[in-house]
Amino acid sequence: MDVAYYPGCSAHMMAREYDQSARLVCRQLDLNLQEIDDWNCCGASSAHSFDRLLAANLGARNLALAGQMNTGCVTSPCPCCFIALKTASLELKENEELRGVFEAGGTSSHEIKVTHLLQLLTEEVGLDSITSRVTHRLSGLKLAAYYGCLTRPARIVGFDDPEQPVSLDLLLEGLGAQTVTWSHKAECCGGALAQARTDIVLDLCGEILEAARQAGASAIVAACPLCQINLDTRQQAIQARNGTEFNLPVVYFTQLMGLAFGFSPRSLGFNRLLTDPSPILQTLK
Amino acid sequence: MKGKARKALVVGGGMAGLEAALKIGQAGHEVILVEKEANLGGTALLLSSTFPKWQDPLEKLNLKLEQLKKLPAVEVYTNTEISSCTPNGSGYSLTLRNNLTGEETGVEAQAAVLATGFDYFDARKYGEYGYGTYPGVMISIEFEEMLREWKKGLKREKAPGAVAFIKCVGSRDRIKGYPYCSKICCMYTARQAGMFKELFPQASCYVFYMDYRAAGKDYEEFVRSVMEEKEVRYVRGRPAKVLPYGGKLMVRSEDTLMGVPIEVEVDLVVLAAAAVPKKETLELAKSFAAATNQHGFLEPVDGFTAKAGTRVFFAGGCGFPTDSAGAQQQGAAAAAEVIALFNQD
Amino acid sequence: MSFQVGSIDRTFRDELEMACNVDLDQCWECGKCTGGCTTAHNMDYTPRKIIQLIRIGAVKTLMSCNTPWVCVSCRLCVDRCPAGIDIPRIMDYLREKSLAIKDHGPGVDDIILFHKLLLEEVYKRGRVSETALALKFNMQTGQYFKDAGLGQKLLRKGKISPFSSKVRDLNKVRSFFKQEPDRREV
Repeated sequence: MDVAYYPGCSAHMMAREYDQSARLVCRQLDLNLQEIDDWNCCGASSAHSFDRLLAANLGARNLALAGQMNTGCVTSPCPCCFIALKTASLELKENEELRGVFEAGGTSSHEIKVTHLLQLLTEEVGLDSITSRVTHRLSGLKLAAYYGCLTRPARIVGFDDPEQPVSLDLLLEGLGAQTVTWSHKAECCGGALAQARTDIVLDLCGEILEAARQAGASAIVAACPLCQINLDTRQQAIQARNGTEFNLPVVYFTQLMGLAFGFSPRSLGFNRLLTDPSPILQTLK
Repeated sequence: MKGKARKALVVGGGMAGLEAALKIGQAGHEVILVEKEANLGGTALLLSSTFPKWQDPLEKLNLKLEQLKKLPAVEVYTNTEISSCTPNGSGYSLTLRNNLTGEETGVEAQAAVLATGFDYFDARKYGEYGYGTYPGVMISIEFEEMLREWKKGLKREKAPGAVAFIKCVGSRDRIKGYPYCSKICCMYTARQAGMFKELFPQASCYVFYMDYRAAGKDYEEFVRSVMEEKEVRYVRGRPAKVLPYGGKLMVRSEDTLMGVPIEVEVDLVVLAAAAVPKKETLELAKSFAAATNQHGFLEPVDGFTAKAGTRVFFAGGCGFPTDSAGAQQQGAAAAAEVIALFNQD
Repeated sequence: MSFQVGSIDRTFRDELEMACNVDLDQCWECGKCTGGCTTAHNMDYTPRKIIQLIRIGAVKTLMSCNTPWVCVSCRLCVDRCPAGIDIPRIMDYLREKSLAIKDHGPGVDDIILFHKLLLEEVYKRGRVSETALALKFNMQTGQYFKDAGLGQKLLRKGKISPFSSKVRDLNKVRSFFKQEPDRREV
């Protein structure tokens, strides 16, 4: 299956291991991720905060480029990019003027299906296909599946449950791991405030880490670059401030899929994580 | 035809149906009283206490059942449902089906009173409250059973140290639930919270409310006594989320009087699930050609209070959420309209 | 100071309701938006109060409070609101309208600066380099050593890099901007 792939800025930089592992596991699942040529930034939280039309336009250009690829479906590993694309897609549906600017051959940009990578894998590929590729079951791992803001708002996302999401839990269990019931699976990490209001993000991430620790998780599994970066790179600062030793690796779900499919930790970018993932890697040996 | 004894069907043996059957029977007509469950009594059988007087709900119920026994013209079918209904001009031809034996009985009735009660809103629709996901989150009618056991002196050692009640779960919500006020939840929540504190004075008890509605004889005084004498803490705000935390449950809400977000740690969360129409009632209403509103509650027609169609009437929770006293009043009103109709036949 | 509710000017509210596709009369004032809000603790006025401020036409307060800027657009409120009021969209609207206002209270200037720098990156390159963005932000705010230790670690891990990709059809991307983002306005 060919799918237009919108990696987003983080996947090219701080979340390269997410991109890397996503491409590996998708190839294994006969999912051909074709990166959209010359894609632009979705504008993150900044564009829609300043100028709604700017955000719509940025998204619409990416959708138009994806439409020309005639795959019928576009996917992004980043929830922020995904929501931005999907919002633009809805905007295009309602706004004929905007649509007129972007229609240029291929699938009509407002008709292309917009998915998050987790959605694509669980809904289109399906858990059965995924589990059938597992060669190294992740037995012994106790994981906290963390969705953050991925499933909200339900009206736009249209996938999983906004308050009690389960898709990532089911996927991880399909890989042979155990998931914990915990309180913060759909709480927000503070996202883009990390730079300007580090204090707020440290508070929020501290709560999330503490909740995962209390639930007995040995790692947190993310489906978002911002979540992963905040929880992983700010962990030491939070530990220093709260006096709690978390040492909780924060990994991308695609990295764990890769392990279960038999790829080496290095090829999946485990070496790029700040919080040492070796305890969980050893559990698997 | 005046003065001729006629036959009425009453569907549902809760407080509303019982009262209707009694009054129609006492007026000298025959009654077929059909109850789906094994026992007559409906919701009253499940409750730990009445209000505004703290009494055993079985006291009044038993009184009604005694009166019923004195009326041989009232035929009671328990474990029974209506399997078919055909209007025949002067009434209805019906088939009753016994759910245990499968036995079917054909009967005729010249009028019907639907008193099938209400259902509870499916609280799983509020993922934020975790009903069905977190142990320790329950709906009010499930908590009622715990209260009844504690009252009997059972399982007291397992009693929670702190309980939070969340009102308006499924009501006053245009998106996930129903826009209407479910009416009975304010009072039963006060009753449950008061009873809990009566049994366990040392425990903490919080009621999260948007408004508390206590419009009824002695109702306001009842709620105030729960606050003042039983020391139940009322917090104004509709909780946003329940989080399982360190073996406890944390309720996140705004205290809208203080205007700040608050967190309350408890052992148990009781959701005041809204009273909603039963699906079966809607089907029943169709076969009796009875009027319903947009939600599926039976609706009066022609300026009557209980008449929902040519020869069909209703009483109690199938018309709108109502407490036990209201159900009884409506049962009597429905009986009056049936008797008046029979008198005119 | 008391709010003058007797002579409410509905202009601002009407425009907002139209632009955000909301009907604020539907608000039950239940506080469910606020009870679960990710950053309500850091706000001058909680989301429920913001709705009230709009309803009483307190435009000046709305324009100067920190609420929309501290809001992280996590969208926890919108799915929970029993009236389905799109609060995140209202926050977007308030940000857009109050962008030109100077004094939003402590900590807000940095947030606005961050957004501006990010959009500047989009304008200049079509994509955002997290490294460049972080460096520019720290330089602009005079926090030369903020996260310096972290930065070194990230560099060692290859998580950040001075190199970043660029969009070829930049003119197209730039045409979406009403004007070139100007960080000096902060």
